[in-house]
Amino acid sequence: MRWIDRVFRKSRDEKLLEKELRFHLEQHIAANVAAGMSLEEARRRANLEFGGLERVKEEVRDTRWETRLDTILRDFRYALRTLRKAPGFTAIAVLTLALGIGANTAIFSVVYAVLLKPLPYANSGQLFNVFQVKPQDGITGTGWSYLNFALLREQNTVFSEMAGAQKHQLTMTARGEPSVVNTSVVTPELFSLFGEKPLAGRIFFSEDGKPGAPPVVILGENLWRGSFGADPKIIGSSISLDKRPYTVIGIMPATFRFPLLTESEQVWIPLVQDPLFGSMIPRRAGHWLQVTGRLKPGVSMAQAQAELDAVGARLAKEFPAENTGWMIRMVPLQQMIVGNVKSALLVLLGAVGLVLLIACANIANLLLTRATSRAREIAVRMALGAGRNRIVRQLLCETAVLGLLGGVAGIFLAYWGVQGLSALLPQSLPLVNAIRVDNFVLGFALLLSAIASCAFGLAPALFAANSNLQTSLREGGGRSGESSTRLRTRSFLAAGEIALAMVLLVAAGLLLRSFAKLMSVSPGFDVQHIVKADVSLPRFQYSTPQQWTAFSDELLARIQAQPGLQDSAVAVPLPITDGRVNLAFDIVGNPVSSAGAARLADYVSVSPDYFRVMGIPLLTGRFFNQHDVMAAPRVSVISQAMARLYFPNQDPLGKRITFGFPPGGTGVEREIVGIVGDVRDVALSEAPGPMMYVPFAQAPFWGGAVIVKSTLSTSGVAAAIRHEVLQVDKDLPVTGVAELTGALDASLAEQRFRTFLLGLFAAMALILAAIGIFGVISYSVSRRTHEMGIRVALGASRGAILRMVLRETLLLTFAGLAIGIPCALAASRLVGHMLFGVSPHDLVTLTIVAVVLAAVATFAGYLPARRATRVDPLVALRYE
Amino acid sequence: MSEPQIEFLRGTLDMLVLKVVALGPSHGYAIAQRLQQISKDFFQVHQGSLYPALHRLEDRGWLQAEWKESETGREAKFYSLTRKGRKQMEAEVHNWERLCDAVGLVLRAPEKEP
Repeated sequence: MRWIDRVFRKSRDEKLLEKELRFHLEQHIAANVAAGMSLEEARRRANLEFGGLERVKEEVRDTRWETRLDTILRDFRYALRTLRKAPGFTAIAVLTLALGIGANTAIFSVVYAVLLKPLPYANSGQLFNVFQVKPQDGITGTGWSYLNFALLREQNTVFSEMAGAQKHQLTMTARGEPSVVNTSVVTPELFSLFGEKPLAGRIFFSEDGKPGAPPVVILGENLWRGSFGADPKIIGSSISLDKRPYTVIGIMPATFRFPLLTESEQVWIPLVQDPLFGSMIPRRAGHWLQVTGRLKPGVSMAQAQAELDAVGARLAKEFPAENTGWMIRMVPLQQMIVGNVKSALLVLLGAVGLVLLIACANIANLLLTRATSRAREIAVRMALGAGRNRIVRQLLCETAVLGLLGGVAGIFLAYWGVQGLSALLPQSLPLVNAIRVDNFVLGFALLLSAIASCAFGLAPALFAANSNLQTSLREGGGRSGESSTRLRTRSFLAAGEIALAMVLLVAAGLLLRSFAKLMSVSPGFDVQHIVKADVSLPRFQYSTPQQWTAFSDELLARIQAQPGLQDSAVAVPLPITDGRVNLAFDIVGNPVSSAGAARLADYVSVSPDYFRVMGIPLLTGRFFNQHDVMAAPRVSVISQAMARLYFPNQDPLGKRITFGFPPGGTGVEREIVGIVGDVRDVALSEAPGPMMYVPFAQAPFWGGAVIVKSTLSTSGVAAAIRHEVLQVDKDLPVTGVAELTGALDASLAEQRFRTFLLGLFAAMALILAAIGIFGVISYSVSRRTHEMGIRVALGASRGAILRMVLRETLLLTFAGLAIGIPCALAASRLVGHMLFGVSPHDLVTLTIVAVVLAAVATFAGYLPARRATRVDPLVALRYE
Repeated sequence: MSEPQIEFLRGTLDMLVLKVVALGPSHGYAIAQRLQQISKDFFQVHQGSLYPALHRLEDRGWLQAEWKESETGREAKFYSLTRKGRKQMEAEVHNWERLCDAVGLVLRAPEKEP
């Protein structure tokens, strides 16, 4: 509101000036008339003499500006001069501020790109993710079956357009080496939904989505440039995906990415043409299609939700087997995309804000020290007639210069920090490629430095201007002029710094402990010396389960024949790295009580040696063996958690289960032949859930992960796998080669990232707080040099002096801790959801942090205390 | 009106204005009139110099202004001297007198007979 005030005042100034000059003119005219002139003549002469109202006004305005500009420039020049005269102080203050501003700007650039910036789609506020939930089973958000989606799209009146999408990878053979491309499998409306135009060619029409339509593909710009040399004649030509020809119909600009917001090379194909998801179209069961809708203008979220409820009820009524208990929900697309990183980012932003606060407190402390040592200078200036306002303005000018310098240095740090962050950011972070220091972020940095300058500058400036003229002048030198209020302020600032540092250290400590627990948790399988690689078979060439089994048998036989690679197996999906396949199943002779209350377990298809290679222990029964083939009776091995959950107080061995996967095998009964140890298959932080394993030979798949346990080098193993795969089929790419330890590590990228950053901020806070304590205590010691000299002269021992100073330090520290502990307890609840195996009120962390802080603070106070003991009474007494 | 317009140094005008205002709060027109009267029409201050000077002095805190009813019943901006302004004026008058004395001494120095 300040600027409004200023604008109004300005126009008021102008009006008053006009009034003043008019008064003059009228007086002049009146005088002329009194002297005997006619009114007309009087007016003419007065105007002539006056020389034009506007010109006079202009000249008044000019002087006004001159004086103001002059004072400001003089203040700035003076500020620069005084700062140059104290290079140590200036350097520390600027550096502290630069750290605070830089860290804040860097984190804000991430927050801005991920949370605040609108998504890169037209009218992105209208875009919503529409999903299904099943509260009674704790299912919080899943996709759709195609048939349910089609019904929703047709029957609702609140969305102007809806589209479904899924993604996976296909093998592309077009030119050169076979490669794996990220493939978005979409319903044709996707592009019109987002209002995106192709770079060349056309987008999908609804005909492209009909069964029997010729297969077509749209290329992403990056892929087109990278793999096709930006060939303009590509449109109309044919490329091969999973060995099936697709006609290229369009190229989308690189700026358009959906649904793979972080992937840059991709293709889009109609759902109906996809070898995997296309086959799932006719089935109403299943939740795999991600649905996005554009809300019609003017429709509220509540209206839309009401309509979704109605559609949900209709679905449950018409198709109870698949839809009982399911409900439809919607959430803004942006929220859906950033959902799980939002709170982590906000915590980081809060943490880095605290660091800035500590930095400001530190600079305020420094400024107070300086203001005190400059009390005499200021008193002299005031005695010479400088007004209080003038002094405050000049001191503020100094802090403004400091703030500006710190801000500029901070922006440089932020540029550098953002680069560092980008390398560090987990790739799973959405919109990661949008993070940069742009104008908005720069504006934020400048605003922040302005606010910070006010925060740390105002108090010392006011204090300085209020200092008692008489005492300041009488007491010479730079040591005195300190009022007890000011010392209290400084102590309060230092204690506040400790309290803030405590909050950050506790949060960081909790994350660190939680991360250590996470690193030490056993996933339930061995990770050492295991290398994995993904192989995916083109489904149009390898179309039957027999071919899949034959391929995997031949590949495994070839790999196992190599020296050192005997311990190898095939699995789909691999725990942690591949995610899960969660399936409903039935127990023969023990059907579920009601429709919709399904039993669920994670499904894995493995070759016989899998358990041995992965080190998963057999608890009872047997592993799979070579005889568990398609022709033999179907078998299954379940995990301990599944046995406990679904077979309480029973022996699961010999029981039969059925489930509808893979397609075609629906209803086949499988006998449970063994129970194995639990495995954390979703994430290290998630407790193991029920799992069921089937022999790969009885439930083959068109691809999977090859795992090899070997003492050979990773590159050697990878080369061997690649070699053997190409021996079987020269057109097959091998992807995702990694050591299992590395893959597990990568799964912790997000946790590592936030733990590292919070740890970094906490360390900064600790150092700043230590500097703060050091400053206050050394100041207090130097102020009391005289007093200590007397004490020593009167026979006080050095130990007594040391104790006296240390007591002051400890008092500050304990005051800080007393404020800090409840704050830390309150703040740690904010990180509670990020913790694994540690309570947010973890006593160990709290104690360690308090002890560390006390130790660091004591050390920071010990340095000046030791100096105090060295005070020579003679020097101290003579001094002043 | 036929007398030559005297352009005098900014600092001198400031000092004279301060002095005139020191005689009693007055508005711009009255200040110009008084300056003219007291100097027996020697100083005819142009409005283009007077008002910038008044505002400059106000900005520096040497004058303070107040809107009051004038002798004619109209509202006018009255300037009066601040404490700081008085100090400034005294300092300037002191300097001016020393300058005049010095100039006078030099000018009155007896010339040697040829």
